[in-house]
Amino acid sequence: MSFWSRSTPEPEKQSDSLPSRALLWLMASFALLLSPQIDRLPVWLILVCVALASWRWLAQQGRVRLPGRWLRTGIMLALIAVYLVRVQGSFTVDTAASFFVLTVGLKWLETRTARDFYVLFYILVYLATVNFLFHQEIHWALVNIGAIALLLIGLQVLNAPELPGGIKAGWRRLGVMLFKVLPIVVLLFVFFPRMEPLWSVPLVSGKARTGISDTMRPGDISSLAQSSARAFRVTFGGSMPEYRDRYWRGLILDTLDDGTWRQSGYEPYRRPGRVDVDGGVGELQPQEYDVLMEPTDQRWAFALERSVAVSDNVVKEADDLFRFRRPADSPVRYRLARDNSPEQTVLTLEPGQARRYLQLPASGNPRARALAADLRQSNSDVGVIRSLLSRFREQPYFYTLRPPRMPDNGIDSLLFDDMRGFCAHYAGATTFVLRSAGIPARVVVGYQGGESGAGDEYLVVRQYDAHAWVEAWVEGQGWVRIDPTAAIAPNRIESGLRDAVAEEGSFLENEWASAQRYGDVALIRWASQQLDRINYQWQRWVVGYQGQSQMDLMSRLPGGFGIKELGYLTAGIVGVGLLIAGLISALQMRRGANRDRYGRVLGVWYQLCERAGVPVRSGETPSALASRLAAAEPAVADSARLFARMVNSHYYRPQSKSAPARDGSDEVQRMRRLLATMKRQLRKASKNQRSNSRHLAHSGKHSD
Amino acid sequence: MSRLIRSRWQRWINRRIPRSDVQLLTQKNLFILPTAAGVVFGVLLLIMLLTAINYQNSLIYLVTFLLGAVFVGAMHQTHRNLSGLELTLVQAGEGFAGDDILFRLRAAAGKDDAIAIMLSDDDTQVRLGHVPSGQSADVALPVVSAFRGYLRPDSIRIETRFPFGLLKAWSWMRPVSAGVVFPRPIAAPDVVSAVDDGDQSASARSPEGNDHAELRPWRDGDMSQRVMWKRFARSGQMVVADWEADRGSPHWLDFNAFSGTDHELRLSYLSWLVIERGKSGARFGLNLPGQVIEPDSGQAHATRCLRALAVWGQEKPRDMQGAPHGTRSNTDSGKKATAGAKI
Repeated sequence: MSFWSRSTPEPEKQSDSLPSRALLWLMASFALLLSPQIDRLPVWLILVCVALASWRWLAQQGRVRLPGRWLRTGIMLALIAVYLVRVQGSFTVDTAASFFVLTVGLKWLETRTARDFYVLFYILVYLATVNFLFHQEIHWALVNIGAIALLLIGLQVLNAPELPGGIKAGWRRLGVMLFKVLPIVVLLFVFFPRMEPLWSVPLVSGKARTGISDTMRPGDISSLAQSSARAFRVTFGGSMPEYRDRYWRGLILDTLDDGTWRQSGYEPYRRPGRVDVDGGVGELQPQEYDVLMEPTDQRWAFALERSVAVSDNVVKEADDLFRFRRPADSPVRYRLARDNSPEQTVLTLEPGQARRYLQLPASGNPRARALAADLRQSNSDVGVIRSLLSRFREQPYFYTLRPPRMPDNGIDSLLFDDMRGFCAHYAGATTFVLRSAGIPARVVVGYQGGESGAGDEYLVVRQYDAHAWVEAWVEGQGWVRIDPTAAIAPNRIESGLRDAVAEEGSFLENEWASAQRYGDVALIRWASQQLDRINYQWQRWVVGYQGQSQMDLMSRLPGGFGIKELGYLTAGIVGVGLLIAGLISALQMRRGANRDRYGRVLGVWYQLCERAGVPVRSGETPSALASRLAAAEPAVADSARLFARMVNSHYYRPQSKSAPARDGSDEVQRMRRLLATMKRQLRKASKNQRSNSRHLAHSGKHSD
Repeated sequence: MSRLIRSRWQRWINRRIPRSDVQLLTQKNLFILPTAAGVVFGVLLLIMLLTAINYQNSLIYLVTFLLGAVFVGAMHQTHRNLSGLELTLVQAGEGFAGDDILFRLRAAAGKDDAIAIMLSDDDTQVRLGHVPSGQSADVALPVVSAFRGYLRPDSIRIETRFPFGLLKAWSWMRPVSAGVVFPRPIAAPDVVSAVDDGDQSASARSPEGNDHAELRPWRDGDMSQRVMWKRFARSGQMVVADWEADRGSPHWLDFNAFSGTDHELRLSYLSWLVIERGKSGARFGLNLPGQVIEPDSGQAHATRCLRALAVWGQEKPRDMQGAPHGTRSNTDSGKKATAGAKI
């Protein structure tokens, strides 16, 4: 490729020094592209990038010089060394992204020619692509596309430093161009076949995600309660369930071990490939609901109790839990349905299961065990549960986001001494007491609640809705949900955490920038809801438009559209698009040519003269040409002179505005007709000539 | 093989773009291809598409399609930059062999602006910049001349890469008019004219090497170099060393005077002499085989003589598809004969 070899003079010559304005656009684009990355990039890297870019800018201004080859290599090696030390061998998408940014930063120092400019252009376009892997919200999408637009403006400036009309014209040109191609882009987006990934590339992020985890220590969930990050959003086909029924089950913790609840028996099964992020489209049935979950890097999906899977990217596993086939490393949308059919309850718990849900540490928390024994004596299973809950209701237990530290025998101190805790504390303690009393029980972790989005169209569940509750096995009823928090702080279950801790004032006390913290202010609430609604629709219909949605959409079109047909259709769209564009430009050209019809008639006239053996001389008057033609071809002498007169009268006629356009077109018509006549005459003349010569030749032979 | 293809291609181009001093750029004679940068851009789009497929990322799909469509849009923009533009050779330049001869060209934009236009010859290129729609701009394109005679570049390339440099649209203009390249002046040895001046005897055709000079009084038109200034200082008489006096006329520059030397060299000598005479304002005539220019003086006369020297023995290129005249590409391809050996 000649572009890469230094020997080609062309790109080098035109750009010995890059236009400053072009460089400025490139830098602006770089800054814009870094902004989505800012929370995942180390601070030193950002500073280095700023420093390197400003060095380049100062060099452009002529204040400093760009480093020579040795210094440049030195800087490069030093920075890469710093990078390697910082990364320390952990290879994740984050570190890869930082390395990418580092190379862009270094490239500034050797951006001297147009070729380097283009290399930077490519890298920055790809940086925008990488940004899309991490941020798909509409505002980040706009930032990225804006940055690409800046790059394109930069290229315009590079190619035409004396760009007429300045930058405004550049933007207008780009805008018009984008506007014109938009239909094709939309068609391609809808119809381009969404293939399966060609090879497996999990998006492993080194950064811990905010969200619930598969272990529960008292205190974990209360720290989660300080985050207003979104967990998932749900659209219901029918009516939304009541607030107190919004229990989103995520996972089950069944093993208590050293004060920590864990899950047992779930091997980290990893299927190659990526999680299918698309749950399909189509009208939701009344029982169905559609969940758009933010990435968790975990396999679990959240579901209401007694649900069944509708979309095939989630599967129902044991204990009524839903799982993806791969960890969700990007937003996933899935569909479930509430199952209202009469439940066929499993009336007996297998011995193995019973053992699993009765597991307790050998020692510890003696007072809680004593309480369990006390409750057990007088009651049935249901009676134990009831009296435990009424104990929570009647005694002064508090629900707080600021629980005291309970280092050893935490359950005892919670139940008998401090009586202050968060949902995780109470769920753990309840399970402990129930198990001590011989009732199989387990801790369920998930979310409870969720507030309505704009227009009550959907539900937003945030991290502070994270919740833990208990399920106990009751002979004859199966697993029964028990929520000690509902007994202690009914507000939490009826209307959410904000009201539950209103007195304490601890709601999002560390997240001062979160819009949810100021949920009482109507304007902020409205604005954040609207923004969320836009983003939700964007995520559902644009970001989430993948294979399943496409197939669902295509199945509504007449004719069976498979992925192959889509491929043909895409090729057709591209072809037709190009064809239409070509036709339009051809028509425009033709119209442009039509404007000077005299010119075309004259062109035909010149052609005719040439063919008759009278080449047109430049600067010759029409009448001179006509007389020469007349001399060469006496047959057309009169017509030619007439034609010349008409040309003259056209050019030398006084310009009168009143002369209507039709007059002119008449004249052109007459000239055309005259030309046709001349052609005919010429043909006839040449035929005569030929026959004459044949005749002559014939007679000559005869005379021999 | 590649040579065959190239000559075939060249012939196709020549058929498509006839020689003319006025070239209106239309779809028929405009060419458009991606530049190397454009090819790399295409590869980048492919990589982006792969990323979109592998990460099932709709937004990357969207950006890929957007950029692809922008590429197609750029194709139209680049094409429109040139289409409708009329390129006219206003004046084919004159100059001495080896110098750059300036060809004045005028570009008149059609109904679209013509932006970032570049004109180039084989070796040189000129940035014309921006011609607003309906207006025209002039530009002088230097064409490198190799030797004297008619200079007609085979093709003048007009190119644009606007807006993004990812595509280039170009066309050629194949001018009919030829510039005139004067022989490169080479200081001539002292020479004799064989033309009878009328008042001198025609028999004085002495062989060369006869270097005794005859002294005679100064008269109007004598070159100052010939004045014996030492003698003037001594005696106050303006005396001229006139070694041509008895061998021919000082008024005639004669092609035949340099017998034994190469024709091209003789023309170069004459060129030098014409310049010298022209500078001093002397009256002189030029005698070339087949062409005689009567003695006269002044700049116009000198130029006329130089033109006669330049095109002596050459035919004006009138043909529509003839070989290029006098450009360096001849020498490069080893066909030096076209201009030099016709004499």
